[in-house]
Amino acid sequence: MLWRQDQGGHKRTIRSVAWSPDGRQLATGSFDATTGIWERDEDESGDYECVATLEGHENETKSIAWSKSGALLATCSRDKSVWIWEVEEDNDFECLSVLQEHTQDVKMVAWHPNEELLASASYDDTIKIWRDDDDDWYCSDTLVGHESTVWAIDFSPSGDELVSASADETLKIWKRFVPGNALGIVTQRRGEPIWKCVATVVGKHERCIYSVSWSKVNGLIASSGADNTIRLFEVKDATAPVGTEGRLTAEQQKALNEPGVLFEADKVADVRKAHGTSDINSVAWYPNADHGDWLASGGDDGSVRIWRLEDDRGKLSKSQSQIEDCDDTTDDGMLLSRLKEL
Amino acid sequence: MTTLINQNPVIYEASAGNSTREWREDDENEDAVDVIDAQEIFDLIRSISDPEHPLSLEQLNVTQRDHITVSDEDDTILVEFTPTIPHCSMATLIGLCIRVRLLRCLPSRFKVDIAVRKGTHQSEHAVNKQLNDKERVAAALENSHLLEVVNQCLATATSGGVVANIVRGPAPAN
Repeated sequence: MLWRQDQGGHKRTIRSVAWSPDGRQLATGSFDATTGIWERDEDESGDYECVATLEGHENETKSIAWSKSGALLATCSRDKSVWIWEVEEDNDFECLSVLQEHTQDVKMVAWHPNEELLASASYDDTIKIWRDDDDDWYCSDTLVGHESTVWAIDFSPSGDELVSASADETLKIWKRFVPGNALGIVTQRRGEPIWKCVATVVGKHERCIYSVSWSKVNGLIASSGADNTIRLFEVKDATAPVGTEGRLTAEQQKALNEPGVLFEADKVADVRKAHGTSDINSVAWYPNADHGDWLASGGDDGSVRIWRLEDDRGKLSKSQSQIEDCDDTTDDGMLLSRLKEL
Repeated sequence: MTTLINQNPVIYEASAGNSTREWREDDENEDAVDVIDAQEIFDLIRSISDPEHPLSLEQLNVTQRDHITVSDEDDTILVEFTPTIPHCSMATLIGLCIRVRLLRCLPSRFKVDIAVRKGTHQSEHAVNKQLNDKERVAAALENSHLLEVVNQCLATATSGGVVANIVRGPAPAN
């Protein structure tokens, strides 16, 4: 156990945790409306201590995320806002912007893998893209299409695509088109790129999808939700090659306003009852190639499970790593082992 | 006394006290798997108190057995309820009471959806969305005041249909 409530930590549910890119700090977002920043006490106990508390949200903080460089931290809340913080020396965090354009709770924030570009997902059924103009943050685009709350988002390895998961039981793939793009997609007036839905995965989840993760190593998308299942998808760009024509056909142009044409998303594997009869609230791929075939999941059964994707891509199966307190269940070649509760 | 949202609720007869399910042979078989059905769900929620009146949800016809759908094989339950008036601001609270009652009483394998009966509430979409967003529900239940109100409504839930002697006519307004 890293810390306890009596050591001055959060006063309510901790909803989100995120390691800083350099691994030295852990940020925690809580229903008590604050975000805690924790560091390991190298000298003495080795315990984590809270070195900063970011206040400002009016009610529950839902999600927090560090940018790739670690220079920025984003937080979001049921108060409908997204806050951008700059990480300064001596554990000082300066609030750069309070962004209030969503019309309902903001469920999650996620940074672009390389650029200082942020995406947010909301109970208002939309996704917003945020950029800055010299530390002045603004909403660059609003992605409309889902028919219910968007619970989670993640960028593709290149950052030119985004996947979203929703209570409408679908996943959507969105692609960024810059001004003057080869397909002739019309972008916005101010020269901002535009994001278009290029695929919708329908009928593959039977209930709300709570989480989605796009592996930066193997390019697969993992999704999980209230139907007790983890699913893996492979996404392919099915756009006609830009060669001779350089433009979309009239049909493709029209289709860009409708779901699911330019990209194909095929199911690669799934694990049913990955956490028994419990909802699976989060999935996350291993961030780098050290264990690019590992996927972690967390569920309402209170357990965290680590999965390994087998080479033939037909299954998610038992991890080979040494894990304490193994609780081995072999259930048609699926999972895995259980981590001791953190 | 503050004005009630619904001053003159229509009051219905509650079925006499106990469960109206017929005796089945398997009832006495210890090894039989206990299949959960609409009647059982109804029995769990029929006696929840309305937040405003000393009456049960059954007596106000807010809940009815026929508005409950259970699929024991895929572990899903849908409970529809009918607010007494279309602009009832208590609708979300009533829905929350139903959810908490079922959360506390049912095996965790069940996925429960709660909704207002179509056409019975002017903000039906918004109410349904809140009731089925588990993060919103969890956060709401961390509010001690709200939890207390919910618990008060649930205090009568085991009394089998009748909350108080049936009172004809509205409560006196002061």
